Amino acid sequence: MKRAADNVLSVMVLCLSIATIAFLVTPLLIATVMSFDARQFLGQFPPPSLSLQWYVGFFSDAYYLKGLQVSLMLALAATTLSTLVGVAAAFTLDRYDFPGKEPLSAFFLSPLVVPHVIIGFSLLLFFSTIGVFSGPIPLIGGHLIITVPYVIRTTLASLVGIRKSLTEAALSLGATERRAFWKVTVPLSKTGIAAGAVFAFAYSIDDVSVALFLTGPNFYTLPVAMTNMMLNEFDLRIAAAAVCLMVLTIALIWVLDCIVGLDKVIGQGVYHK
Amino acid sequence: MKLTRGAALVIGLVVAVYGTLLLYPLLRVFEDSFREFIPGRVGADANSPLTLTNYTDLLHEAYLSYLWDTFRIGFIVAFLGVLLAFPIAHFVARRRSDWLRRATIGLLITLMFLSVLVRVYAIELSFGPTGFARDIAPLFGEQIGSRFYIEFMIVLGLLHYSVPMSVLVLVGTIQNVNPRLIEAAQALGAARWKSHLVVTLPLSGRGLLSAFLLSFTLSISAFVVPMILGRGKISFVSNLIYNRFSELANFPSGSAVAVVMLVISLLAIYAVSLLASSRWEGAVR
Repeated sequence: MKRAADNVLSVMVLCLSIATIAFLVTPLLIATVMSFDARQFLGQFPPPSLSLQWYVGFFSDAYYLKGLQVSLMLALAATTLSTLVGVAAAFTLDRYDFPGKEPLSAFFLSPLVVPHVIIGFSLLLFFSTIGVFSGPIPLIGGHLIITVPYVIRTTLASLVGIRKSLTEAALSLGATERRAFWKVTVPLSKTGIAAGAVFAFAYSIDDVSVALFLTGPNFYTLPVAMTNMMLNEFDLRIAAAAVCLMVLTIALIWVLDCIVGLDKVIGQGVYHK
Repeated sequence: MKLTRGAALVIGLVVAVYGTLLLYPLLRVFEDSFREFIPGRVGADANSPLTLTNYTDLLHEAYLSYLWDTFRIGFIVAFLGVLLAFPIAHFVARRRSDWLRRATIGLLITLMFLSVLVRVYAIELSFGPTGFARDIAPLFGEQIGSRFYIEFMIVLGLLHYSVPMSVLVLVGTIQNVNPRLIEAAQALGAARWKSHLVVTLPLSGRGLLSAFLLSFTLSISAFVVPMILGRGKISFVSNLIYNRFSELANFPSGSAVAVVMLVISLLAIYAVSLLASSRWEGAVR
C-alpha cells in the first residue's frame, strides 16, 4: 500500500518536472520554427512550408540593421570599460586594507539590487540636466553601471581562490611586489575576469529597461527596436531576430562553460564526493 | 597591505564613476519627487516649491490598483516558481556528475541568460492568438483578450525566468541536505513522500524562502514582460514610471513612483540578505 502510494506520487512529481521543462523549452522551439514560416502573414502554428524570408527581411531592414550595429558597438564599449573599471576595483579591494572597505564593496555591488527601470529613469534625469540628450554617451554610461558589478563579483571570487602562499612563494624567491602581482595574481585570476566580461557583454546586449529611457528615434539599440516593433506590428522578422539572439546566448554560455565550467558555477555540495 | 597613493587614486576614480552614474542620479530622483510638476520640462525646476503632492497622488485608488496587481502577480509567480522548481532541483542535486545533470544545468543557465525579449516573443507566439490561445483560454472559461487571460500570459512570462533561477538557488540548498537523514527516515519505516515532507523540505526551508523572495523581487520590478504581454490592460509599477516619462513627461510624479519602488525592492533584498546571513539561524530555531 505504502509502496503503491509512493510510486504514484513519484510518477506524478516526475510528470510535473517534465511538464515544467516542456513549458520552458516549447515556446522557444515554436518561435524558432515560426521564424522559418513561408507565409506572408503571421498565421497559426505550425507553418505549412518553410523559407528564409524573415531572416532576409530582418537582415535587409535598415531600421533593425542600425539597431544591431549600435548594440554591438555599445556592448563592446561597455564590456571594455566595465572590465577595466571592475578589475581595477576588485584588485584594489582584494589587495589593500583600509577603513570602510566592507561598506565600499557593498556600494560597488549595489547596482545589482536597484531595478533597471529606476537606473534608466535616473540617468535620463541626470543626462538631461547636464544637457546631453541622446547619442552614445548616456547609453555607455548606463550599460557601464549595470555591468560593472558582475565583473567585480566574478573577479573578486577568483581572487579569493588564489592562495596567499603562492604570492609569498614568489616574494621569497626574490620577485618584487609588482612582479609577483603581474606574474602570479593576474594570470591566476584570468578566468574570473573573462567570466565577468562575458556576463557584461550578455547583459549589455540584452538590456531593454535602461536603453529605452536613453535612446531616441535616431539612436537606438536592437532590443529597443524589437520592443517598438512588438508593440506596433507583430511580424515574424522579430522571430528571426529572436533566434539570432538565442544563438548568441547559446554561444556565450558555451564560452562561459569553456572558461569556468558550468558545474563549478553551482558546485557539487558537501555530500557529493 | 596598507593603501598606497596609487591604489587610493584607483578607488577614488571608481567611486567617482559610481557617484556620477548611480548615486547622484538617484539623489536627483529623490529630490525631484518632492518638486511641483511644471509641464514641458525634463526634470523639475530647481527653484520650484517643495511639495508632497507627488506622493499623496499615489494614494489614489487607480494607483493602488497598479500596486495591487504588481504584488499579487509577483506573489503568484514566486509561489508557483518555487513549487515547480523544487522537484527539478531535487533531481539535479541528487544526481552524480553525469551527462543528464550537466545537460539540465546547461539548459537552465542558458534559459536564465536568455534575452527577456526572446521569452516574451516566444510566449506571445505560443500562447497568444496565433498560438494555442484558442485551445487554452476555454479551459479557464475565458476569452483570449480577457483580463484573466492576459494576467495568465504575464504569469507565464515571469515564470519563464523565475523557474530556472529558483532551480539553481535550490540545487545549492538541497545538495547540502545530508542524504543519510532521508535514508534513515525511510529505514525507520517512513514512506518516501513522507520522508521528503518531514526531512528534506524543512531542512531546505531557508533556500526555499530565499528562492521565493528572489523571484518575488525580480517579478515586482519586471518591466518588459508586463509592458508587452500586458497590452496596456495590466501594468506594473515599473511601467508606470515609463509612462510618466513617455506619455505625460511628468518627471516629479515618475520620480515619486521610482522612490516608492526602490524602497520596496530594497526591503525585499534586505530580507534575502538576512536569510543568507547567520543571524537568521537564531531566529528560526
